[in-house]
Amino acid sequence: MSIGVLLVDDETLIRVGLRAIVDAEPDMRVVGEAVDGAEVLPLVTQLRPDVVLMDVRMPTVDGITATQHLLNRLTEPPKILVVTTFENDDYVYGALRAGASGFLLKRARPAEIVHAIRVVACGDSLLYPVAIRNLVALHGAPNNDRASHALQHAQLTEREMEVLRLMARGMSNAEIAKELYVSLQTVKTHVGNLLNKLQVRDRTQAVILAYESGFVSPR
Amino acid sequence: MLLRRLAGPLVSGTTYRCWVYLGLGGVLTVPFIFVAAVLTGIIAYYIGWNSVTVSLAPLTFIVPPLAIGLIPALRVVHRAAVRALLGAPLPEQPDDTDYSYPWSARWRAAGWLLLHLFVGGLSGILLMVMLPAIIILLIAPFLPERVTLDYEVIVLVMDGGWDDTAYPLLGLALIAGFLYLGAGLRVLLGRAASALLGPSPAERLAVLERQAGQLVERNRLAQELHDSVGHALTVTTLQAGAAARVLDTDPEFVRRALQAIEETGRAALDDLDHVLGLLRDGASGTAPQATLADLETLLAKTRATGVPLTVEIDEGVDRIPAVVSREAYRIVQEGLTNALRHAGRVPITLRLAIQANRLKLEITNPITEAAHRNHHRNGGRGLRGMRERVAVLRGEMSAGVDGDQWRVAVALPLRRVS
Repeated sequence: MSIGVLLVDDETLIRVGLRAIVDAEPDMRVVGEAVDGAEVLPLVTQLRPDVVLMDVRMPTVDGITATQHLLNRLTEPPKILVVTTFENDDYVYGALRAGASGFLLKRARPAEIVHAIRVVACGDSLLYPVAIRNLVALHGAPNNDRASHALQHAQLTEREMEVLRLMARGMSNAEIAKELYVSLQTVKTHVGNLLNKLQVRDRTQAVILAYESGFVSPR
Repeated sequence: MLLRRLAGPLVSGTTYRCWVYLGLGGVLTVPFIFVAAVLTGIIAYYIGWNSVTVSLAPLTFIVPPLAIGLIPALRVVHRAAVRALLGAPLPEQPDDTDYSYPWSARWRAAGWLLLHLFVGGLSGILLMVMLPAIIILLIAPFLPERVTLDYEVIVLVMDGGWDDTAYPLLGLALIAGFLYLGAGLRVLLGRAASALLGPSPAERLAVLERQAGQLVERNRLAQELHDSVGHALTVTTLQAGAAARVLDTDPEFVRRALQAIEETGRAALDDLDHVLGLLRDGASGTAPQATLADLETLLAKTRATGVPLTVEIDEGVDRIPAVVSREAYRIVQEGLTNALRHAGRVPITLRLAIQANRLKLEITNPITEAAHRNHHRNGGRGLRGMRERVAVLRGEMSAGVDGDQWRVAVALPLRRVS
């Protein structure tokens, strides 16, 4: 099954470049393009993409707001991959907190770009764990009350906590299974349970929460 | 070391320039002495010579220079003369052609004129008295006949001939004395100048405010430069990566990508040319900065307020470097806002043209009563932001009354001035 991708960027040349890279892959295709955050919600409803490549800075509705709209209004929102010009952009972290599954630099190599789309679409490992840790260290408030409260309230089991720690280190489900000498299916169950308990939509959000609550130190 | 310090004032050009300044003061004293003499004569004519006449005499010398010294433009003359002839490092002030000084600054400047006259007059008299003696002392050995210098307290008798070889040395010592006096007065006057002609606290504040404004402006420009160049590099990188990916399957895409890379690179270099050597600071908003390409929206918004707007835009305005385009957009925005704020809903004319590698921008509107009042109240402060933008881009700007119109004209260079 091929991964449907929606491109959101106000710059034509960026969209054209991304489209060429995505369409050159056999397992993914661009299903549509939007030039502003305001167009995203109707297009997603109509085209049902699996992944949205979302620019952050756009003229009328920016990527953070568009991400929030998607996650608040849709029951089964697509995965959102934020594409950004600058790594230290304050808004990238804002977009991740708003619920994006990962971020990608526009200058990334084509191979990295398609890899990122696959990782986010599949959801069984964390995209760029080191970069996310750095972003939390730079922008996140450690021992954030909301995050600590959510973690305490979740009452994770010992095993689930261990899985969360390994997730934060960037391990995929398969790697975690190997590390803990359990089956892949068991890991998937643990991950599913802990996402439910933490009330987050994917592992990126779970890892951010782990960092922000102080459960895992970003430094 | 000591010798050099002692000889320094004798050979330094500053000492001689100081004497020129003192000499000017001395010459300027002459008309005021005349005026004082005439005034005292008139007073004496009416009330006769008595203690009142005598005590009023100094006032007849002090009051006229004080009154004249209050003229604002003279302060500019003082400052220029003090800088050139005394070499005193007077701090910057906002604008030497802006004569709207506070009264405190004007009184201080008047005090300076008085000081200049006094010191110049006294040292001039001293020089005039001593100069003949110095000349005679220098040529003492060659005097054909006996000369007696009688200064009451000291009497020198010179016969000429080799017995008088000491006298020229005395003459040289007197010259040195005058030079040391000049050097000493230069230091003292320099200190007095910074107190009497230096910027007032308000002027210092204005200078600081202007500098801070420019710094903010520069930082913003640097931030935008970083964004725009980073953006251009991103586009070229992505296009190149994509082109390499589809090189064999889609040659048409590759051709377009190469073209895009070329154009993007060129535009980014234009932008770089304009703003360099600045550092990134702070973060900007999520929306890209508006340029002249977004002018239509701005004009539509202005028209929506009920203002009749006449717009003349030359061809080619959409192809100027991004940084000029952004700043020009902001200048137009500020200009329209100013016109609306000060003149109300009067017809506004906006002209944009490219002439001799410059973007010429002109906003005119008829002057109304309200505009007159507002301009006086605000002192044209709305123009400050525009001036700062223009200054950073090394452009020129004028704003003022032109017939029955208020006219703001800006010229921005399109090539970097090297």
